[in-house]
Amino acid sequence: MTAKDQGPKSGSAESQMIRELAELLNDTGLTEIEIEKSGLKIRVAKKISINAAPLQAFAAPAAPAAPAAADAPKQATGPGDLSKHPGAVKSPMVGTAYRSPEPGAPMFCEVGSKVKQGDTLLIIEAMKTMNQIPAPRSGTVKAILFENAQPVEYGEPLIIIE
Amino acid sequence: MFDKILIANRGEIALRIQRACRELGIATVAVHSTADADAMHVRLADESVCIGPPAARESYLNIPALVTACEITGADAVHPGYGFLSENARFAEILEEHKITFIGPTSEHIRIMGDKIEAKETAKRLGIPVVPGSSGAVTSETEAMKVAKEMGFPVLIKAAAGGGGRGMKVATSAADLGTALSTARSEAKAAFNDDAVYIEKYLQKPRHIEIQVFGDGKGNAVHLGERDCSLQRRHQKVLEESPSPALNAAQRQKIGKTVADAMRKLKYRGAGTVEFLFEDGEFYFIEMNTRLQVEHPVTEMVTGIDLVLEQIRVAAGLPLSFTQDDIQIKGHAIECRICAENPRDFRPSPGQITYWHPPGGLGVRVDSGVYQGYRIPPYYDSLIGKLIIYGKSRNDCLMRLRRALSEFVIDGIETTIPLFQDLVKDPDIADGVYDIHWLEKHLGMK
Repeated sequence: MTAKDQGPKSGSAESQMIRELAELLNDTGLTEIEIEKSGLKIRVAKKISINAAPLQAFAAPAAPAAPAAADAPKQATGPGDLSKHPGAVKSPMVGTAYRSPEPGAPMFCEVGSKVKQGDTLLIIEAMKTMNQIPAPRSGTVKAILFENAQPVEYGEPLIIIE
Repeated sequence: MFDKILIANRGEIALRIQRACRELGIATVAVHSTADADAMHVRLADESVCIGPPAARESYLNIPALVTACEITGADAVHPGYGFLSENARFAEILEEHKITFIGPTSEHIRIMGDKIEAKETAKRLGIPVVPGSSGAVTSETEAMKVAKEMGFPVLIKAAAGGGGRGMKVATSAADLGTALSTARSEAKAAFNDDAVYIEKYLQKPRHIEIQVFGDGKGNAVHLGERDCSLQRRHQKVLEESPSPALNAAQRQKIGKTVADAMRKLKYRGAGTVEFLFEDGEFYFIEMNTRLQVEHPVTEMVTGIDLVLEQIRVAAGLPLSFTQDDIQIKGHAIECRICAENPRDFRPSPGQITYWHPPGGLGVRVDSGVYQGYRIPPYYDSLIGKLIIYGKSRNDCLMRLRRALSEFVIDGIETTIPLFQDLVKDPDIADGVYDIHWLEKHLGMK
């Protein structure tokens, strides 16, 4: 632990802060916290045996360039693997997906619903037109991958029917 | 200023727009087809939305999908790039109806210049010299013969709904005028669903010289010099340069002023290019493109002006950030369009780029969205990047281009780099002596 301060000694306030930071480490599972405030900088770190691979700062040059904006929020594309699921019903267009024909009306389907081929599963609204999305096959709804009124993109998996 | 711009395009121009937006601190939305999910601009944009399958008609040309993507992301402006919907007046209108700014001219100006007959009439009215020809569409062979005999053969029959080098037929004498006319008509109907044709004098060895213009939409307009785009294959530009080796300062000043005056009268908004054929010291208007062009970097290098940034500013209602007097054409720039094609037979070569090493150094600019490991999709045009060289003089520029081409490595696909290495050694190119037929002759075509 390191603590540097340029102000008048306020021992108990500092050790209280350090204790709190240490507790925070345990509660959150973090390994290191550093804070700086009005000239006072405190860093609290936990020593753990590392069996994970050491941090790679840069990807190997032969690999495609990693996006620098990886931390920027991106439009959610949903769980990537599920789009390959054989029972996945994917969005045929970009728009806003709704679970019921209108607000307050019962939802088209729930997890566990049995559906026949052609039954409407959801509506996608695009430019003020409502498009009914039919079940491509009969089966049971195993998973619903979107929230009501969620924007969806072309090809995004919305429902799994098995 | 806009908060969020949706980039309604793909490839290198989408990346170009992404860069300008990022420099202005404007958030970006990259829309893409499933085939472009790994595109560089998609990875760099703040948000991305998949709008359709690979086919352009269902993705990049899909107006409802694009407008919907604006709605769900809250984009307040769209930059259409070039090609696709960039000159689609209806798209511009629909966006305006949805209170989304179309970064470009008004739909009215798009429409006027999109109809080649109306464009020519408008150019004439605005004082721009035009190719002698029929006044309006030609509806009968008698009429065609009368116009042709007045001008003298050979003549060119052009589709009113054509443009970009498409829908044109040559009639060398009175004997083949009838056939040329009816063929042109039926081809125009098939390609553009409009068989209206007009006739122009056919120029034998012209150069293609175009003037870059910019207007603020309120009556202020400037020109940013010319680009010589005479090196073409099948009416597609292959190499462009600025300034044109064929013009002197007086000619440049005169045509620039004529065009800028015309744009002022028109109250044109945004970027535009007025294209001419130039022969025996005379300029002849062929068409105006109401959008950014592929070869815009060449003008950026010699003027030092960021044209995409300026487009965004003007669309946001800001005045032009320069006056005509501020614009100085300094040095020389050349652009090579690098395509994923065999350099001899130009067969497309999609596939994976296994090794990518672009050139660098002073005066070398590479505008490209591809990267090592990238798979070029087979659904779109073959342009994979532009190599733009700047030098203090045309000679320095050519030397630098030769050097840069020798450093450029693209493995895994075939590219047209060898074609440019060959061109750069040619004495006619070194002397700047070429016209719009030169390249095809050099390639031994027809």
